[in-house]
Amino acid sequence: MEGHGQGKAKALRLGVTVLIVLAVLTAVEFAVSAALNPALPYLALIALGKAYLILRFFMHLGQLWDERERAP
Amino acid sequence: MSSAVHHPPARYNRLFIDRLGYWFFLSSESLLFLGLLGSRFYLQGTQRPEALSQELGLLITTILLISSLTAYRAETAIRHGDQRVFLRNVLATLALGAVFLAGVAYEWSQAFVHFPPQTGFGTVFFSMTGMHAFHVLSGLFLLLILYRNGRRGKYSMENHWAPEAIVKYWHFVDVVWVFFYPALYLV
Repeated sequence: MEGHGQGKAKALRLGVTVLIVLAVLTAVEFAVSAALNPALPYLALIALGKAYLILRFFMHLGQLWDERERAP
Repeated sequence: MSSAVHHPPARYNRLFIDRLGYWFFLSSESLLFLGLLGSRFYLQGTQRPEALSQELGLLITTILLISSLTAYRAETAIRHGDQRVFLRNVLATLALGAVFLAGVAYEWSQAFVHFPPQTGFGTVFFSMTGMHAFHVLSGLFLLLILYRNGRRGKYSMENHWAPEAIVKYWHFVDVVWVFFYPALYLV
């Protein structure tokens, strides 16, 4: 079974990984806007990807569908 | 005849119901921002003034993204009962949020010169960034309360709904900016 401190360390590492991916996507956004015309469809897709990462990992949206989180 | 009221067994725990209600609140807030996002393209298409600093936009976006990590770390820490890391990260989030607002204030000072509110893009720019900045400001106020209560030891592993809700709000503000940033600075 996973230890308490180990669980925390894992969660903190996950946060850093998500931030790195978000930073890379932001840099890609910046490059796409300079290189492509029209860039809007690509920018919209990247923004949706970034929003998904924040909702999924930082905001824990999945908790709403997790039976263990619902149980009284 | 017995007058006792019969309660059916609970199907969900209290925290789940709090979370569900909170997601409804955030969903309703997102409609406001969706309206603003739509008006940007309806009124101005994909036009953007050259005077808008893309570098500054990128800088404040990066600051807000980093603040999301510190907010996440604060929530993770209090879920595991680590008060020290929790307080440190709430403070870092507060500082980064304040820097973000300072960046927006600087951008506004430039915007008043190059595309004031009475111009087409000015209307869109000030409405979108103004509404967003107001939410950042209210998020900072909530984080201040969180920090004060955290210092008094009000949150713990068992009692972490308030930190979770405020951190969720902060992430929501970040999600809004994820869409506003390309719509204003990059298209």
